[in-house]
Amino acid sequence: MNSYSPQSLQYEPRGFQSKALAVGVVCLIITLIELFLHPTQFFRSYLFGVVFWLGIGLSCTAILMLHHLVSGRWGFVLRRSLEAAARTLMWMALFFIPVVLGMRYLYIWTHPAAVAADPILQQKQFYLNTPFFIIRQVIYFGLWIVLAYFLTRWSGEQDKTANPDLVKRMRNLSGPGLAIYGFTVSFAGFDWMLSLEPHFFSTIYGMLFVVTEAVGGMSFITLVAYFLSKREPLSEIIRPSQFHDFGNLLLVFTLLWAYISFAQFLIIWSGNLQNEIPWYVYRINHTWATIALVLVIFHFAVPFLLLLQRFVTFRRQYLAWVAGLLFIMSILDLFWLMMPSYEKAGPQFYWSDWLALIGLGGIFLAIFSSQLKRKPLMPLHDPNFVGVLQHE
Amino acid sequence: MEPLDPVDSPVAQEEPPAFVSPGDPFLAPGHSYASVTRDISGTVLRKTQRGWWIGFAVAISLFLVLNFGITLLFAIGVGEFGINIPVGWAFAITNFVWWIGIGHAGTLISAFLLLMRQKWRTSINRFAEAMTIFAVMCAGMFPFVHMGRPWLFYWLFPYPDTMGVWPQFRSPLVWDVFAVSTYFTISLLFWYVGLLPDFATFRDRAKHKAGKLIYGFFSMGWRGSARHWKRHEVCSLLLAGLATPLVVSVHTVVSFDFTIAIVPGWHSTIFPPYFVAGAIYSGFAMVIMLAIPLRKWYQLEDYITIRHLNNMGKLLLATGMIVAYSYVMEAFMALYSADKFEHSMIVDRFFGGGYGVVGWILLSCNLFIPMTTLWSHRIRTSTVGLFIVATFAQCGMWLERFVIIVQSLHRDFTPSSWGMFYPTPTDWMILFGSLGLFLTLFYLFARLLPSISIFELRHLVHRTAEEAGVIEAVEAE
Amino acid sequence: MAKRPIYGVMAEFNTTKDVLHAARRAREEGYRRMDAYSPFPVEGLSEAIGFPHSRLPVITLIGGLIGCFGGFFLQYYPNVMGFPLDIGGKPFDSWPAFIPITFELTILCAGISTVVGMIWLNKLPTPYHPVFNVPRFQLASQDRFFLCIQSKDPQFEIDAVVRFLKDLNPREVNVVPV
Repeated sequence: MNSYSPQSLQYEPRGFQSKALAVGVVCLIITLIELFLHPTQFFRSYLFGVVFWLGIGLSCTAILMLHHLVSGRWGFVLRRSLEAAARTLMWMALFFIPVVLGMRYLYIWTHPAAVAADPILQQKQFYLNTPFFIIRQVIYFGLWIVLAYFLTRWSGEQDKTANPDLVKRMRNLSGPGLAIYGFTVSFAGFDWMLSLEPHFFSTIYGMLFVVTEAVGGMSFITLVAYFLSKREPLSEIIRPSQFHDFGNLLLVFTLLWAYISFAQFLIIWSGNLQNEIPWYVYRINHTWATIALVLVIFHFAVPFLLLLQRFVTFRRQYLAWVAGLLFIMSILDLFWLMMPSYEKAGPQFYWSDWLALIGLGGIFLAIFSSQLKRKPLMPLHDPNFVGVLQHE
Repeated sequence: MEPLDPVDSPVAQEEPPAFVSPGDPFLAPGHSYASVTRDISGTVLRKTQRGWWIGFAVAISLFLVLNFGITLLFAIGVGEFGINIPVGWAFAITNFVWWIGIGHAGTLISAFLLLMRQKWRTSINRFAEAMTIFAVMCAGMFPFVHMGRPWLFYWLFPYPDTMGVWPQFRSPLVWDVFAVSTYFTISLLFWYVGLLPDFATFRDRAKHKAGKLIYGFFSMGWRGSARHWKRHEVCSLLLAGLATPLVVSVHTVVSFDFTIAIVPGWHSTIFPPYFVAGAIYSGFAMVIMLAIPLRKWYQLEDYITIRHLNNMGKLLLATGMIVAYSYVMEAFMALYSADKFEHSMIVDRFFGGGYGVVGWILLSCNLFIPMTTLWSHRIRTSTVGLFIVATFAQCGMWLERFVIIVQSLHRDFTPSSWGMFYPTPTDWMILFGSLGLFLTLFYLFARLLPSISIFELRHLVHRTAEEAGVIEAVEAE
Repeated sequence: MAKRPIYGVMAEFNTTKDVLHAARRAREEGYRRMDAYSPFPVEGLSEAIGFPHSRLPVITLIGGLIGCFGGFFLQYYPNVMGFPLDIGGKPFDSWPAFIPITFELTILCAGISTVVGMIWLNKLPTPYHPVFNVPRFQLASQDRFFLCIQSKDPQFEIDAVVRFLKDLNPREVNVVPV
């Protein structure tokens, strides 16, 4: 049964890590040119990239906690990748600092003159003000890093000591952890994205942000599992039935995304109130409508129909294609949520948007890979993992 | 070679089983196919107990209260309710939302847990589904009696009438008609499909001619053939796949009844997931409140174990946390919106003279008590503790619907049209009377039908024995 | 034994293993017209008697599609073609508002067709069936497993079938009269 040695389960980046780092650094340096030419555009592009990649790390932390809570079979083979993604938060937090430095380029409510001219912004000042914004970011990142740190540390301890109490400890942290996660990520969504258009408000927005990230995170982790399972011995451990489980999780998150998006749309569309409806007027008219339609088809309809088919979810290649599609769509989804705040008339192509995304992605992947190296790829000493290997 | 004549081999009364289950957290050890069949059918195929008659009498009396209230209402008119302008929706709609929410846990157990292949659904799904159907019946009654002219209810359905007029399909009230009737139909079908093999068991075990005839009629000649079972399993899975999104859609549509309007306190985008979570929360509270007495009175502790209660407690906690999240989001967004109507609505909800006290009772019942105690393993595994917490949650959810509906309405945009709602005796009679209707139906269910799915219990016996290797041991002998 | 018509020969088994083994052996032996009976769904039994797939999902899909398109048309027709009314300035084709009912009717039609399909394919209700002529068959809904080889089978020859079934470790073997 448990014949795998920790050495055989060691992840070897084989040059991937340095390549990713090189691509990341080069792209970011080129993007920096924009900082001197058009600083506003630079910060917009940077925010887009950093929110996306932070979201991957964050949602992987949440999926990890979900796994500890329900201890589903699907989670054991993903756990090390999820932990590595969670640990990227400790480093990616540093990459959030430029956003704080560039706040005045991004958020209109940081300008005293704009606030003075707008009674609505004046009333929102209790929340939307620079010092409180910074304090909140410190709190969010502090909590996220604490969660990621302890979850990964105890899991690493388990590798050495095989102490069964650690399972309970991780589970006990995950319950409150998920509650903390839900609240902090929702408020982070308000801070980072909702306040780009400070007149708009929607109570479901936090949940929408959490689920948008979850689609990105789950498709990312499915792709990671696919690439890892190409080599021995993981090709034996991660079986088609486990890919089927990943497919089901992707299906659940896709459906949740569609449900929450449609609920918000229908309510605001029917209400047609002046505070809310402009947010959709930009997003479903002009050229943005094309992107909205692409999202409906390729972020919902196509993956939904594909993920219902067993011949897709039981074959890792097919599932990887669907996960890849969803990963790209979750980038586009973030683009559609964020960019109409600046470009009301329609999407514009700025090279810095995509370069910043790739640059931060390279750095994210380099950190991810360096974290993945630190432990064997499977939690060999988790008492429940033995059962995963035995079954079937 | 002389083939045996079938009449020669009589059915033995009792035979020792080939093997017994070693047990599982969700099934006590020592059960065989025959023992679970005997235990569960024994709760029905026997003389009526005196305890049942007492409970049923109480339920019927409450049901009579409902009949009295409705008679008054039909004779006099909707003025019998305490409603007036500005509060035109009050108890009846509160009860409607509350009851239909209770139903949701049953569907979640029978459908979603089936898709997730959870073992622990086996012994609770049957009575939870029954609870769903009866709760939906109670719920459906309220919009009907609230109509004023209930005999014209069919105007809500799309049919080509002589005037050529159609229902207003943009109205969530019409969506509700479709959602609730679909929900009732699918729940009933799902329930019946699950009961089909158990009707066959009753047909074969019933001693009275009448019992054989009636159970036989409903079993439709089920013979447990492998072809039957194959289609039955596919059918259950397909229904589960359909019922899971359906159950989400039903309370979503109910939440649209409020959100599509522009009333502050109603027009809130988080309502759909918030209502669904709240529905499941109150539903699990109801499942707990039914399971604890049921397992005690019918000695079903072997099947509905402490682990079942623990799991339900955890689900209560998880859905309660989503409800808590929604409260926070609502309060925060009302402040953040900088909209003075939203703002004064949320202040009035908890600090207003009208219903501020109700708001705090609601928070205590729904959040402060359950969300602090349910984290404890001790509470979740104690029948008394869990029952009390579930009761608080149940009351909290009713109050939540009351506050959302009545408190939001009683302060209109213009202060000149502000007003209070006070419930009348008829309001109370119909609220408690609906509990009587529910309990009457549930007592009849427990008397006439198996409260736990027998064929699924046999399957569970088999599964647990197989996992423990007992079956192989028997074969080897 | 008189020459009265028979439905088949039925063997009774104590465990799922026995009935599965018997069904597989019967197929190997060349029997095709048979059925197995059990008090709960036994994994692999329908495959063993040669019934691997059910057509039920197709029926569900057809029902769902009818409900989906029918549901949308039900709302589109009166609002856009039959009796267009301007209500609250909403467009005649208020497609976002039509989605909830379209969804509900999709589920309703798919669900009803699934259940009706299951009952219809199972040829229920069946008021009379010969297998019930064996008194012990009532245990098929309780704790026993049965395998019946039908006389319709081209290879059916009563003595051979009885002998074959008796070799499979049955509790007993019965002839099923029509």
